[in-house]
Amino acid sequence: MKDLVLNPVQKEVMDYGLLSSGFSCILQMPTGSGKTWLSSLAIRQTLQAGHKAIYLSPLRALAEELADRWGNELKGFSVGIFTGDYGPQGRSMPVPYHQADLFIMTPERLDACIRNWRSHWSWIPKTDLVVVDEIHLLGDAGRGVRLEGTISRLRRLNPFIRIIGLSATLGNRSELADWLDGVEFCSDWRSVPLRWRISRFRKADEKPELLCREITVFRDRGSQTLVFVQSRRRSEALAKHLCSQGISARYHHAGIQHSERRSIEEAFRSNQTPVLVSTGTLEMGLNLPARQVILYDLQGYDDGQFSPLATNTVWQRAGRAGRPGLDEEGEVVLFAPTWDKQVENYGLGRFERIVSGLRDRAAFQEQVLVEIHSGMGKTRPQLERVFSGTLAYQQKLPLPLDESIEEMTDAGIIDLHPETSDFILTPLGRIAIRQMLKPETVLQIRNFLDSVTELSFFDLLVAAAATADCEPVISVDYEELEKLADYLAARRSLLFSKGSTIKSPSSGKRLLSALKTATLLLDWTQSGDAQTVAEDFGCYPFEIIRLKESMERILTAIASVQRLLDPEVEGEEDKPKSPSLRRIELLRQMVISGLDSESASLTVIDGIGTVWARKLTGAGIKSLKALSSTSLETVVALGGISSKRAGAWIAEAQTHMDSTPIGDSSSGGAVAVHPSIKVLGVDPYRLRRAMELKTSRKDPSHWTVTGGLDAHIVGVTSTTKHEEALFSCDCPDNAKGHTCKHILSVRLFQGDKQISHAVKLIREAQQDTSLDLFHLWFSR
Amino acid sequence: MITSTTRSLITPSGNIPFPAYIPVTTFGDRYPLDKLIQPYLPRLAKGVMVSHHYAKEMKQRPRLPLLIDSGGFAALFEGSRILEENGLGVLEVNRGETPERLTPLMVLEFQEEKADVAFTLDFPIPPGIDQTEAERRQHLSIANAIWAIRNRRRKEMCLYACVQAWNEESAARCARQLVDHPFDGFAIGGLVPRAKKWDLIEGIVSNVLAELDGRPLHVFGLGKPEISHKLFGMGVDSVDSSSYVKLAADGKKWSDPDFYLEDPSTPELLRLAIENLATASSAPLPLAVKTRGLSQQPLF
Repeated sequence: MKDLVLNPVQKEVMDYGLLSSGFSCILQMPTGSGKTWLSSLAIRQTLQAGHKAIYLSPLRALAEELADRWGNELKGFSVGIFTGDYGPQGRSMPVPYHQADLFIMTPERLDACIRNWRSHWSWIPKTDLVVVDEIHLLGDAGRGVRLEGTISRLRRLNPFIRIIGLSATLGNRSELADWLDGVEFCSDWRSVPLRWRISRFRKADEKPELLCREITVFRDRGSQTLVFVQSRRRSEALAKHLCSQGISARYHHAGIQHSERRSIEEAFRSNQTPVLVSTGTLEMGLNLPARQVILYDLQGYDDGQFSPLATNTVWQRAGRAGRPGLDEEGEVVLFAPTWDKQVENYGLGRFERIVSGLRDRAAFQEQVLVEIHSGMGKTRPQLERVFSGTLAYQQKLPLPLDESIEEMTDAGIIDLHPETSDFILTPLGRIAIRQMLKPETVLQIRNFLDSVTELSFFDLLVAAAATADCEPVISVDYEELEKLADYLAARRSLLFSKGSTIKSPSSGKRLLSALKTATLLLDWTQSGDAQTVAEDFGCYPFEIIRLKESMERILTAIASVQRLLDPEVEGEEDKPKSPSLRRIELLRQMVISGLDSESASLTVIDGIGTVWARKLTGAGIKSLKALSSTSLETVVALGGISSKRAGAWIAEAQTHMDSTPIGDSSSGGAVAVHPSIKVLGVDPYRLRRAMELKTSRKDPSHWTVTGGLDAHIVGVTSTTKHEEALFSCDCPDNAKGHTCKHILSVRLFQGDKQISHAVKLIREAQQDTSLDLFHLWFSR
Repeated sequence: MITSTTRSLITPSGNIPFPAYIPVTTFGDRYPLDKLIQPYLPRLAKGVMVSHHYAKEMKQRPRLPLLIDSGGFAALFEGSRILEENGLGVLEVNRGETPERLTPLMVLEFQEEKADVAFTLDFPIPPGIDQTEAERRQHLSIANAIWAIRNRRRKEMCLYACVQAWNEESAARCARQLVDHPFDGFAIGGLVPRAKKWDLIEGIVSNVLAELDGRPLHVFGLGKPEISHKLFGMGVDSVDSSSYVKLAADGKKWSDPDFYLEDPSTPELLRLAIENLATASSAPLPLAVKTRGLSQQPLF
């Protein structure tokens, strides 16, 4: 190794011998203080001692970067990368598991391996070290539990493993170290100290101007600024605004294609871009410092509401400030309203405690299932001992083992082995494990399929998208509701058609999101063009690809559950596939390949996958029927296929001509949606609120409206030339220029024909089961 | 070959420093726990012992010196027969319909292919056996050993002669007949059924040691830490045992006689076996293994 100049933190860690002590350790060090270098040293030492090592990265992009870098640096050792981008549906793994010395993985991939640990026994016992980068992710609602479960299982399978956990922001470092039976280390040394500053505004619309002023000062000094915002849309809008003000800026978020994101990052790193406006995607991992970091939004939007950013998050982002070797200090600017006193606490660095996600019942049940499936806990005492080793237990969180076992037994997810009385997974439980779904998801699917005899493609997609495991969650903005209503009206459904009595798989905002997702995916199957679909639906191609991945698992689970529910046929050894099952399998193929039902049906032919189905479709062979009547020469002319194989395909297609083709359900009807603005002529949300209010006349030109939070006075301001009254109200909504609910209530009271007709339509629609998108939008 | 400065055995796959506790393992699917433990053996032991019978199922050899015995203990199986053919002892083992034959040649050929340390084909002499039969078994064990050393082709494979006896005097006599041959070491078998009689064991081992000229001495099957430590104290160089895993299967551990885990799970069995092996071989374990003990008390 070359002679290196270590910074004080690195030197301190080396002096303490933490990396070679043999103990697990938690290293809490600021961003940019050399954690990655320390990781690589620990890894090198492990490999040189003849053992294997794992590096866990929460980001696929960072995993790629490190695999490239360490592949070059660690000569003589085999560096493998194992993330969701590699494997059966992705790129082929450059190094297989049994050959790798260093495994660079996402936590999810390691989880999948440990769940099937017997298949990976060639390398698990040989692993000595696991570096967990950003270990504060243990507190993340979704990923944290799986990380905790994985670490726990790995330590039980290999008692020699030691864990090095890295983070800049931990409020309970000692507790985590105790959990790992290790030691802790903390340093707040930074090569470039931070200077914190609060920039105040009175009203939110002052912020863009404030941002321009802040940036201009630094830009004029030749420095760069990184701006963190709460949403993708805001990052784009702000970047655009800055450009319009003569400030060169670009935006960065997870919706951008990976290759484009890398080029944006590179342009910023090489000083070509003065300002980068980003969501939280840049708070972790990549080396991308800037002289100035501005936290434009100190609130995050999560689960339908805004809440202040955690101190941990603020510091993760602030950590980007200050370029080593170039800046004497890094400036962190927090944008806060004048009334916000709490913002001053951020600079104190009192990090939040990382709390185990096992506190969530559904997550806990999933982990119980995983332990039973992997054979690591098959009886109640064994499961007790398993969970006594968790962070949750260490933190004295309630772990409802008995209730969970009882619930899952009653639900038919687990059962007792008739001979040994060990817990075993039922077929339903195995479906959950195989597809890495929560038990509640599989139950939801089972209960839903059990309650229906037939479903359309749209219904199936809504049911799938309504589960907790469908991600990403595609949100619906208020402004989109009208457009969504139009899309929905064109869909065929048994669930949501007029007069349907089938219970919806979800409600509120979740259902709204599921409806949009289902619609989006059906469009995807028609065009196969992620870019166009993303533009139409106001999301990003990246999200469609991720959606496709999670849908594949969920639809596979739905097919498996349907197979369980299909009746046996006397005299037949194998259950024949019901039309419902065939429809689900076809839909799954449609979603995976981005093909419509006829083209996707080509994949039932042995040897025709997505690529060939697209190729045949592109050549005009768009269905099994078309293939069955195509000439051999036509197929062979497509290239890459022998006459023998082409002949076999055509012959097989012909055999399918005897069976009834499967497509979308012909039952049901169009999705019934509540009357829209276009039909009503007024804002439906405000009108519904107006229907709940009480109006009384105060004097000839004023009315009092009550029933809301406060009483309001509506008055006549003028009359049009057609003698229509124009109203005004003393409420803030009207002050912003809207026809508020109070005015609508007065108009209704007055017997206004348009309003009365609109109310009549709404009341009629409420009698049936039409979807009220506006009501859903305002629900939790 | 034994080195002179520090006492250890040089084998093609590495040195075995003495004294050494050699864990016994199996291959194949009969004992799943063995399969799980095998990858950890290089961390905790300096060599591994496997019986000839299970060694035949070995697909991938462990990454440490491999000791393969002759499989002669199968003479204790019901229906097995010890035959004399051309002055050598041959074993017919009852394993179902067709008996399996074990000859010195078959054993040696197999060991030369796979083993770093091999043990000659011997026949255990259980307590209470007829005196004539005991002498016959000893005679054939000696004959097999001498045949093996004369016919060994792979010189780098260490070959140990097996001593079988029924008392101190017969043990000394057996050792005297073997010591003039260029064996790399000697191994005493047949002591397991006599394990409770420490005086007898001590006498046999002492008498054999007295006949040897400093070449290594191995004792088969006595792996309990308190016994193995006594043997090492007497000058025995290595012992082998599968007790570390048997004890784990019973939910127990040597380091804490009061400890008992009812119905351990697979990882718990693995952990117990690892701890037992570490105790027996005095190998260090990570602190986390020691502190995070397997809890016996209800925790919820």
